[in-house]
Order: sequence, then structure tokens, then C-alpha cells
Amino acid sequence: MKRWLGLCAMGLMLAGGAQAAGFEARSATPAPELKANDLKGAPKTLADYRGKVVLLNFWASWCPPCLREMPSMERLRQKMTGRPLAIVAIDSAEAEDEVNAFLSKMKLSFPILLDPDGSNTKRWKVFALPTTFLLDAEGRVRYVLTGPTEWDEGEALAVIESLLAETHAPPKQVESRRLTPQ
Amino acid sequence: MSFFRFLLLGLWACSFAARADVPDHQVYPAEGPQLLLWVASERGRAEPEVHAAQQLAAQGVETWSLDLVSAYFLPQLASSMDTVPAQEVADLLRAAQASGKRVVVYAVSRAAVPLLRAAAALEPAERQRLCVMLMYPNLYTVAEPLAEPDFLVVGSLAGLRVQVLQPRRSAATPWLPGLLDHLTQQGATAGHVILENLREGYWARETPTEFEIAESRRMDAMLLRELNNWGCK
Repeated sequence: MKRWLGLCAMGLMLAGGAQAAGFEARSATPAPELKANDLKGAPKTLADYRGKVVLLNFWASWCPPCLREMPSMERLRQKMTGRPLAIVAIDSAEAEDEVNAFLSKMKLSFPILLDPDGSNTKRWKVFALPTTFLLDAEGRVRYVLTGPTEWDEGEALAVIESLLAETHAPPKQVESRRLTPQ
Repeated sequence: MSFFRFLLLGLWACSFAARADVPDHQVYPAEGPQLLLWVASERGRAEPEVHAAQQLAAQGVETWSLDLVSAYFLPQLASSMDTVPAQEVADLLRAAQASGKRVVVYAVSRAAVPLLRAAAALEPAERQRLCVMLMYPNLYTVAEPLAEPDFLVVGSLAGLRVQVLQPRRSAATPWLPGLLDHLTQQGATAGHVILENLREGYWARETPTEFEIAESRRMDAMLLRELNNWGCK
């Protein structure tokens, strides 16, 4: 009973909080294909992050709100060390040298992917930057946020924790936790 | 004599009535053969735009500056542009054409919506005489992550020549081909130019780059350059 009450409380908190931060809940939408190279030229897909909750952030070096939220993503990475969360930032439609010029000024430890021709941006139907997708451990899109946030606190952290909690839960409990924001 | 006085008075009254529904705009007169009708974005007219309009007039291009937000007392929102009466903008286009000058319209961001609706409301012959430059036009009806974009249908643009000026540093740049297709499907002849190293609204940014500051000061030159390169007459 206590467990149920806890889950309901978490659901209510997420429902209110997610709306306040602008998180849009999705009903476990299959994720589009991600096909991009990292800064070393190694190809990456979502399969590389299988079994983890994924925070996939579309950004650009010319976009001030994107840069404003990045330190909080770095703090989130540190806070989540050892937990099944992958933070991936994919630069939208810029040349590699522009991305590297920015990264020489801001040290980030999470993976940066490149999308120089914008093909991933178009597959994921990104129309504003930053746009962030939160995927569950099964690779399904569960939340979308258009615009920046502080990722290591408040509603953003609560949403991520809720997805992380599912990675430990048996399937029946996963179903009940989907009663989070609509 | 009194008949002529009455006639003149009547003509003046008619002309006033005809212009009464034309949205309020600023005119920077010039003697040259070209008239640029500059429609500011939903953010309203910015100081660098006023400066550019003055500079264009000084170079012989008569410039009419239209700030729809101010003219219709609208909130500075993209959706405000969708409420502008297209017929009144069409009347302004006709008034510009009645000047006898070659008319180019330049609309920024969501101001493209009332401008294109007005162009669609023109007679085909009037529309064919118009050249339209759109700076990062926002014609979306729906633009949500993971969903196909949907563009507004503004009416027939048959015969209209459109040139899109698209700053490279914009989330809309990857979507430009779809926008051009949409304009073409509505009958326009659409082309584009990418403006390198610039962001949308670069003349009114809170934290502009040095290049953007410099480009803001020479918007008149950019517009003349793009007009000449385009060659729409």
C-alpha cells in the first residue's frame, strides 16, 4: 500500500512538475534512428546506449540557451556516475570546427555527436534548439523538452529519476509508473 | 469655380477614405525607381531597421517601413501576425504599386504570413509585378518534435517571385527545402540565399557577435546586394 501511495505521489509530482518545466510526456513512442559520428569519427547509434536511460540533447554552438544548460548537464553526469544514464549531446547542422571551437572553451565530459548535414535533426523533427528527448532503457521516447532547463535539479531530475527507477522495476510496476504526466 | 472646389474636396475625401484602411507606416522618400516595403517581424521595428531604411532612402530606394505590431496594437507574438487583416496589407501593396515605382516587399519572420496572404489577395497581374524577399519566414502551423512539419496555406501565389534569406545559424535552416517546396506548390517561384555566420534577428540580439553587430549596421547594403544578385524586376 505504501509503495502504491509513493508511486501515486511521484506521479502527481511529475505531472505538475513536468508541466511547469515544459516537459511533454509521450506514450512510449519508438525512437527515430540516430546515426551520427562522435568527435573522434566513431559512428554511434542508439544501440550503443541500450539498457540505459538516454538524455539526447540537440544543440548548436550559436544557441545561447543551449550553452546555458550545458553546465547543468555536466553536473548531472557527475551526479549520476555509476547509474544507467547516458547523456548525449548532438550538435545540429554545424561544421566540426565550429563545435570544436566551442568545446575548447567549455569542457564537457559527456559524448558529443555531430550532425553536420542536419539529417538526424530532420529525422527527429527538431524545429527549435535546444530540444531534448528522454528515452527509457528500452529506447522509447518518453519525454520531450523544447527549450533549456537545469538538468541536475527540480523537475528535470525527478523525470530522469522516474525513468531510472523503471530500469529496476519488474514489468508490472513499469506499467503503473506510466501513469505519470500526460 | 465652386464646382472645381467641390470636386477637389470630393477627391481628397475619396483618397482619404481609400487610405483609411491602409496600415500605418513610415515613409522614407527617395527619387529612385525602386520602392522597398519593409514589414518588420512580430517583435516590432528595431532601431537598426530604421537606420537601414534611412540609408536605403539616402541611396535612392524609397522605403516604407511597416510595423504591424504597432499599427494594430498587437502583442509581440508570432500568433499576432496571423490576425492582421490581409486585405488591408493588400491595399498597402496596391498603394505602393500605384506609386509607379518597382515594388519589392521584404518581410521578416512571421510577418511573412500577412504579407503572403495579401499577395494572394491581389489580382494575378498585380501579383506578377511584385518581388518578395522573406527573411527566415515562419510559415509553420505545426512544428512539434517527432511530428512532420505543417505549413500554412495562404492562397494562390501564382506568378509571385519569392526569395528567402535564411541565416545559416537557425534551427529552421535544415527545414528550408520543405518550406521552398511549399511555396512552389502554392504557385510561387521560390529561391533562397543562405546568410553565413548569422542568426535569426541578428540586428536585435541580446548578445550579438562582432560580425552580427557589423552586419546590423550594413543591412541596407545586404538588402541591395541580395536584390541585385536576385535580379527580380
